[in-house]
Amino acid sequence: MSATQTFLLELHCEEIPARFLDRLHFEFTELFYKYLGKESVLPVGVAVHEGGFAGPSLPDFLSPRKLAWRVPGVPVFQPDQTEIQVGPPRRMCVDEASKPTIQGLKFAEKWGVDFSAVRFEQPIGKKEPCAVVTVTKQGRPTVDLLAEALPGLIAGLHVPKAMRWGNSEFEFVRPIRNILCLFGEQVVPITVDGVTASNTTWGHRLYHRQHPGPVTIATPEAYESAMESAGVVVSMLARHRRIATQLEELAAEVGGRVVADAELLATLAEIVEFPKIVRGEFPADFLELPKEVLVTSLREHQKSFCIEGPDGALLPCFLTAANRTDDPAGFVKAGNEWVLKARLYDARFFFAEDRKLPLSARLEKLMALTFQRELGSYHDKTGRVVALTKALATKLSKDDDHIDRALEAARMAKCDLRTLMVGEFPELQGVMGGEYLRHEGAHEEVWMAVKEHYRPVGAEDAIPATPMGCLLSLCDKLDTVAGCFAVGLIPSGSKDPLALRRAGQGIVRILWERGWAFTPADLVAVAVRVVGAKATRPEGETTEALLAFFKDRVTYQLELAGYAGSVRRSALAAGWEDLADLKGRCEALSAFAEDVRFASLAQSAKRIGNILKDEIAVGDFDTALLMQGEEKVLAEQLSRLEGTTDQKTLLAALADLAEPLEAFFSAVMVKCDDPALRAARLSLLHRLRQAFLRVADFSLWQ
Amino acid sequence: MHIQELILRLQRFWADRGCLIGQPYDLEKGAGTMNPLTFFGALGSKPWNVAYVEPSRRPADGRYGENPFRVYKHLQFQVILKPSPAKVQDLYIESLEALGIDLTKHDLRFEEDNWESPSLGAWGVGWQVVLDGMEISQFTYFQQVGGLDCRPVSAELTYGIERICMFLGGYDNIFDLVHGEVKTDDGVFPVTYGQMRQREEFELSAYSFEHADIDLHRTLFDAFEKEGWRLLKDHGHFLSAYEQALKMSHTFNVLDARGAVSTTERPGIIKRVRDLACACARAYLEHQEGAVAPAEVTEKGGAK
Repeated sequence: MSATQTFLLELHCEEIPARFLDRLHFEFTELFYKYLGKESVLPVGVAVHEGGFAGPSLPDFLSPRKLAWRVPGVPVFQPDQTEIQVGPPRRMCVDEASKPTIQGLKFAEKWGVDFSAVRFEQPIGKKEPCAVVTVTKQGRPTVDLLAEALPGLIAGLHVPKAMRWGNSEFEFVRPIRNILCLFGEQVVPITVDGVTASNTTWGHRLYHRQHPGPVTIATPEAYESAMESAGVVVSMLARHRRIATQLEELAAEVGGRVVADAELLATLAEIVEFPKIVRGEFPADFLELPKEVLVTSLREHQKSFCIEGPDGALLPCFLTAANRTDDPAGFVKAGNEWVLKARLYDARFFFAEDRKLPLSARLEKLMALTFQRELGSYHDKTGRVVALTKALATKLSKDDDHIDRALEAARMAKCDLRTLMVGEFPELQGVMGGEYLRHEGAHEEVWMAVKEHYRPVGAEDAIPATPMGCLLSLCDKLDTVAGCFAVGLIPSGSKDPLALRRAGQGIVRILWERGWAFTPADLVAVAVRVVGAKATRPEGETTEALLAFFKDRVTYQLELAGYAGSVRRSALAAGWEDLADLKGRCEALSAFAEDVRFASLAQSAKRIGNILKDEIAVGDFDTALLMQGEEKVLAEQLSRLEGTTDQKTLLAALADLAEPLEAFFSAVMVKCDDPALRAARLSLLHRLRQAFLRVADFSLWQ
Repeated sequence: MHIQELILRLQRFWADRGCLIGQPYDLEKGAGTMNPLTFFGALGSKPWNVAYVEPSRRPADGRYGENPFRVYKHLQFQVILKPSPAKVQDLYIESLEALGIDLTKHDLRFEEDNWESPSLGAWGVGWQVVLDGMEISQFTYFQQVGGLDCRPVSAELTYGIERICMFLGGYDNIFDLVHGEVKTDDGVFPVTYGQMRQREEFELSAYSFEHADIDLHRTLFDAFEKEGWRLLKDHGHFLSAYEQALKMSHTFNVLDARGAVSTTERPGIIKRVRDLACACARAYLEHQEGAVAPAEVTEKGGAK
């Protein structure tokens, strides 16, 4: 027998919710390794530490009915372990004649040794010598350890939405119906909730309609091939790849490509044990529905992909995954086509019904739709968004028609919440409003703005493509954030149920990417005024909380933009409110990030800060008072700095200052005895710092 | 397959596997779960297997008999197995085979779909069963009913009868389904679902969306609630009180379809139904088994 063996555990369950597979697998792996570490039988190459473990990743044996772990290289025997046991002090173990006392003998007996094996040493932390024995704990066969520990480890898994079944009090994610547990070829004898482990398991349901009786797994290594012959591809990644390949092939067969959807692809890999992609058709007249409606309906109702042609228009086909190897009678295709037709019929019904009235007819109905208890209905919200749009649009544009269109878009933005289609597919909010307006012949700017005003929906999503879309998105989010803050709904820690941080980030991204000249303070001032009487908190408090919130968002924006830590810290400390200016400074600083002179500049900036800490320096001073060459050089440079507006030039000038500053500090004593000279030197440093701070606080560099 | 044949086969199948064959409960309700055979049957420790058809009304789903897929009232076939058997999924699959579905040619999936009924204080975990892309059943392990933990746990299987019939027959319109055949001396006359129900769909949809008297329904809702609590508190009668909770539930559904319930009002109204239903459940258990463990409040609905 070799010194190590491969361990295999499979929990065969009723269909496990896909969203839990990954984390259950990971969590058990961690529990298992920690146990192996405690017992000194960790596999080769695996290490455990307080925060988790390190080692090669295990195969991703995750399928709808299976959670399995295969761990190679587990030692067959636990090594013998020696432990040092400390007992009572020496004086209590031996009498004056150096004969063992009763207590001394008991200590030896407790550890199964003769008293002669007891030593007396002074352990760390003890004040006197104590009885000490070295005990050897004989290593046990690993299979015995596993048999003892596994039931507890399995029961100890934290299951997010646990359930009970039958008569049992046992809780797990879904009923466990079979346990396969091998250590090499040997079955590890465990029982969990009445299910006893064996070297057999079950394949695909369809497989067993022709092959009654379980599948025997002779060795852990044979697991995935034996399962594949029984109709189950146990690796999630393998299923994922097979689905991706088939999707591509089947779309190409009809001259199109799959409308990509990574999440849907992952879902399909999670919910089938053996993936077979089936292509079906739907009647071409459904193509009159907006593309987003078709894509959403197919995805949400049928877990199906759309296929688009070379021109981006959809083809009347769909692709979905069956949980089997083939479709011999065409039933899977026909069934999915039938259901899809029913779904699209519904979608078409909604699309037709919704258009019987103009979108604007829903404006009044928004009164009955609560946005938030204190902030009122969506009708109220619309009023505020219109007011915000008016306040901001007039600053962005002088064209009255253009401003009128922005206000029209703001009025229409939320109307689609009252349409049947959005009732059915909430994720189509905005999109449907835009589509309906387009069908009504609204101005392109208006329907585009409405369509895109929820964007960006996340960090991955783009901001609206049009300026009007950006303005509407900004005003909508600004109202949400400011409104919620004004009634005390402020995110804290991990709690942000209304996703205000995401909304805030959207606002900052729009300002950042559009380069609009509004500062967060401008926005907060107008938004707090618009919320007005709905507020339940004092205006000053709300404004303060909002500014702190936006500062966090801006800070995060710099991270998102990928600037180095020193750039972010020093640029932010020199002012965060004017985003266009901040962006320019960050860009300029990044260009100098590798310049070694900046490290020296940072040192000097810190010294300046320390020197000025307790001083009141004034701006004006008489350069004639300066005596030493080093300070005269600085004074000359200062006027050059103060005359520069371009940030890149300014930074170049600052970098050139590194050396003169070093020279200054080594040669000049700032706090000299002559009060006039001292004041002049302090003023020089003060003005230098002011010049620095136009770009960055260099004391925070590094 | 005719609708009645499907029902007969399911009844035969489950009767052969040790289920009582129950009957629909003669009050309006939204789902078979609300039948006392399930609501009370799922509570307590005694074994309980029962199967029955339940006509289920969902006023907001009414389409005036014009939509080929959606109706105000549909038929559910409901099975309760307590405790849930170890081979409950296999049993369910066999029942599909009893309907003539050859699973070796179809795609069958159990996709996560957890069920909850806030108005009954009930929730469970389980799946929707999907056959060739179509949801044909709901499969739930009850964890709580009436705000009380289920011990043992029941499995609830709910078959959508019309859907399965349409699917098996490839019908594109629910009203074309054949309920059964009338045989007389003059010949055989197939009777369609439309002949039996289309006018009813029209009138009940019109009632739900247009004609139902909102003030009357608000008054009724309050009155049923008062009556229910009176029956329960003054007389300890949980069955008649529970009927009042069912009436409240349906009255709420009508008000909802009429557009008379605002989003903010909704949770409060549902809670009033739940409070009465949960109180009935506790009274039932006390009557059946004596002391009741205190109800645990869970994230899903739960007690109070």
